[in-house]
Amino acid sequence: MEKTMTHKGVPFERLKIASFDFTCCEGCQLQLANCESSLPDFLGLLDVRNFREISSERYDDYDIALIEGSISRQDEVERLLKIRKQAKILVAYGTCACFGGVNSLKNRHPVEELIDEVYPGMAIETLPVRKISDLVEVDLFIPGCPVDKREVERIVVSLVKGSLVTLPKYPVCVECKAQLTTCLFELGEICLGPVTRAGCNAVCTSGKTPCLGCRGPAEEINMAAFLALVKERGLSLDDLHEKLAFYNAFEPFLNHEA
Amino acid sequence: MHDLRFVIPPQDINREDFASSVPDFNRRSEIMRTDFGYKCMVSNIVRLTEQEKLFQLRIIDPVERALFRFKPGQFLMLEVPGYGDVPISISSSSSNHEFLELCIRKVGHVTSALFSIKEGARVAIRGPFGSAFPMDEMAGHNILLIAGGLGIAPLRAPLYWLNEHRDRFLDVHLLYGAKEPSQLLFTWQFDEWKMINHINLHTIVERADPQWLGKKGMITDLFNDITIATATTYAIVCGPPVMFKIVCSWLDRLGIPMNRMFVSLERRMHCGMGKCCRCMVGSTFTCIDGPVFDYWSVMNLKEAI
Amino acid sequence: MIYKVISKKEFTGFVDALVHSNRSFGPKQVATDHRGNAVYQFQPVHSVADIAFDYSATASSAKHFFLPFREELSHFHFHGNDWEQQISYEANPVVLIGLRACDISALNILDDVLLNGHFPSPGYLARRKNSFVIGMDHLPLPDCFCKSMNHHTVTTGFNLFCSDIGDHYYLSINSSKAFNFLREFETREPNYDDNCMLVERRKLIQNGFQTDIDVTALPTILDIEFDSPVWEKWGDKCLNCGTCAMVCPSCYCYSLTESFDTNLNGASREKKLYSCNLVDFAVVAGGHNFRPKNGDRLKYRYYHQHRGFAENASQQICVGCNRCGRACLAGINPKDVINDLRMEKESCMTCVSSSPRKI
Ligand SMILES: Cc1cc2nc3c(=O)[nH]c(=O)nc-3n(C[C@H](O)[C@H](O)[C@H](O)COP(=O)(O)OP(=O)(O)OC[C@H]3O[C@@H](n4cnc5c(N)ncnc54)[C@H](O)[C@@H]3O)c2cc1C
Ligand code: SF4
Ligand code: SF4
Ligand code: SF4
Ligand code: SF4
Ligand code: SF4
Ligand code: FES
Repeated sequence: MEKTMTHKGVPFERLKIASFDFTCCEGCQLQLANCESSLPDFLGLLDVRNFREISSERYDDYDIALIEGSISRQDEVERLLKIRKQAKILVAYGTCACFGGVNSLKNRHPVEELIDEVYPGMAIETLPVRKISDLVEVDLFIPGCPVDKREVERIVVSLVKGSLVTLPKYPVCVECKAQLTTCLFELGEICLGPVTRAGCNAVCTSGKTPCLGCRGPAEEINMAAFLALVKERGLSLDDLHEKLAFYNAFEPFLNHEA
Repeated sequence: MHDLRFVIPPQDINREDFASSVPDFNRRSEIMRTDFGYKCMVSNIVRLTEQEKLFQLRIIDPVERALFRFKPGQFLMLEVPGYGDVPISISSSSSNHEFLELCIRKVGHVTSALFSIKEGARVAIRGPFGSAFPMDEMAGHNILLIAGGLGIAPLRAPLYWLNEHRDRFLDVHLLYGAKEPSQLLFTWQFDEWKMINHINLHTIVERADPQWLGKKGMITDLFNDITIATATTYAIVCGPPVMFKIVCSWLDRLGIPMNRMFVSLERRMHCGMGKCCRCMVGSTFTCIDGPVFDYWSVMNLKEAI
Repeated sequence: MIYKVISKKEFTGFVDALVHSNRSFGPKQVATDHRGNAVYQFQPVHSVADIAFDYSATASSAKHFFLPFREELSHFHFHGNDWEQQISYEANPVVLIGLRACDISALNILDDVLLNGHFPSPGYLARRKNSFVIGMDHLPLPDCFCKSMNHHTVTTGFNLFCSDIGDHYYLSINSSKAFNFLREFETREPNYDDNCMLVERRKLIQNGFQTDIDVTALPTILDIEFDSPVWEKWGDKCLNCGTCAMVCPSCYCYSLTESFDTNLNGASREKKLYSCNLVDFAVVAGGHNFRPKNGDRLKYRYYHQHRGFAENASQQICVGCNRCGRACLAGINPKDVINDLRMEKESCMTCVSSSPRKI
């Protein structure tokens, strides 16, 4: 494939992109390969250097590195540091990379116990699960479990066009209400929509499943008021904490409890 | 199951729907086109400082260009397709029907896109929008213009007006402050303003460099340099939010009537047409009733300055 | 206006005919909340049986038929250095069934704001012209306060309004279209009894209000109480979630975003309904936020809703449906906030001149 394309007469560089997976389900990568109708256009923007789900070629001269998954082994740490050195833009791609994700549940149990349960009798080296930004500087976060493919496309287009990349600052409720969903609180459940960053088009709540906050906190959230309203409604605080801890995305807010 | 008797036929919108309220657009023949812009060619780009460039735009359609009129103080919505549109004050002369000049600071998404375009590129403008400085009402009076930093951009149109109609006004003072000497804009026009048109220019910078021979300090330090006949003076103030309060209360103490002091406010804007509500200040919209307000209105609008 | 009376059975036939021949929306039950109450929304309906004529109130208003939550305002097609901007102001006809008086009042207010100002909105006008609105009266819910706002009755802005008088509907016909459709059905001129029943019905509604908000001189109070601690008190509860504006029939503000198509051959300008409660509503380049605190933002919502903006002659735009109050998880509602504000200065405000209510 030739390297430069033109747009409005101006040549642009395709983004030299590579994707790396760490501890995760690879669901986020798959999400990209899923963009059915727009996939050819999307790939037209990219010069894929290393991407398991899209191409079998492997090169090491990438500018943009998508990091998928969280970090839970020493060899992963080293691999990540090496990628950071090469990448001009390092993207924490998906909830696991951004916040630790579901994997972080394991941090709540002693390591030995876990190994015994999952790999009994084996010598397994494992560290507490950490998000990417605990170890290296991250240039861009694309949260979501899995990521929203339209959002990824939008962000990649922004990178190509050199325009600013932004995520919505407001919470999921805005998008949820736009779909005329009945609020899950009205149905007696706890939903993290009011404190979670929008952008997923409220896929969970419009399917009558509470939001678990996979996209992380929205900007300037009012956690104190949120906790107060859960209490006031007589809903289970355990359930609330379970939900807040699910993706490890609300860690900085958890000592808020009164 | 369709029963043709009960099918509601689609209805178009047409001119008559708007007959009672023709929008203030120049292009009156196409009233419904409030979402369209005039296409412009960027005919010249001058780099002023690290952060600011002066863009010269020429409306491509000759008829539209000839019909385009604005008043000093009004602004445009400048559209860079694909990136968005932003409100920008017109800082060229209102008698210049050939091209428009916009002085733009690179701060974010759209303005960065503008900084990467080259001469010959195309952009679009909507407008002009908003209120203007009452130049006719000011005639026959002393004029005091006070600009801080980029505040000179919206003041350039009234400055042109003053230069072009100098004989209609008494004394004209321009107090202009910036952070550094290199950030003083339009210095090449200083001589014309001073020598030819007898506009008393007072500049000041916060941080001087060795070459700087002028004054050093805040804009308020210039107040002592001038004497003002308060009864016959109109003032125009433009600058960052913090400046308004200090300068306006000083002018107020001097005794300039509140309805003779004008400010140009800045708010977030998405439409320019009083529809998105983003620019609301107090109980009104900056894009419709502003950006130029007299100080009395500002005092009445909550949170204005 | 022309008045007719139609039997409920015949009316059902009339609605059925409309629904079968046009894209139609009406109240439908979508869920049952944890207290056991039905939750209604305006949903697509395909036959008259789909419509819950006896519904209480929809959780979300009908405004999104006129102001969609999300819409593409224009599309740019690039060729070379140039582009073509494509805008469509076309709308498909819709029949909206069962709007309440307050919903229709809100549409009238939107007409005023969006069509009578300096720059009429063609997109809104197209949708408004292509709607067929059938209003229906109802007995107020315990928390409705549209009577306080003087919006419990409505005389314009609909094609047809139905008042329930027992076995019949008392019809107010406000468009030739509605009149012509009704010719195909059996209606009669209202007789003396019908008129009495209508008056009875109106009295019943009138007296059914349990919530009353004193809006006398409210704009003045809002001005005077600009720095009141009440705002901080309620602001501290607010989640900045925008729910109140999304469900409100008269909130109309928005945000514009532009993005390139993935193939870079075009770009679209998209409009999303926004809310002044969202944190970045008033943020300008450089990061300065003109309203940094929850309380500041909440105050502005009340300012816009209850003080009114100069653009529409300082008319209050709240119609008193209390949808915002019902939907707010934090329990913030106009009644409590305004009463709180009043308490602040109750004793000295009594002599202030009358409210700007439109009569
Ligand atoms: C009446 C008026 C006149 C102006 N005149 C000039 C001028 O002559 N020269 C100049 O350099 N700047 C001027 N500005 C400020 C200019 O509009 C902002 O710098 C510009 O909107 C920033 O857009 P951005 O996309 O680069 O920044 P971002 O931070 O990426 O902004 C994103 C969006 O926020 C909105 N926005 C952000 N900041 C502002 C702001 N300060 N005012 C209004 N909307 C904002 C815009 O809609 C913009 O699209 C003026 C603003 C107003 C209201
Ligand atoms: S269901 Fe969740 S996201 Fe939706 S409105 Fe309720 S709290 Fe917000
Ligand atoms: S609703 Fe919540 S959990 Fe579901 S995708 Fe959106 S942010 Fe994630
Ligand atoms: S008032 Fe209620 S509904 Fe509105 S933004 Fe605040 S918390 Fe959300
Ligand atoms: S009250 Fe707030 S949310 Fe409603 S229209 Fe006004 S600015 Fe928008
Ligand atoms: S502000 Fe609340 S009560 Fe008033 S119209 Fe909007 S939703 Fe209804
Ligand atoms: S810019 Fe939209 S209302 Fe003023």
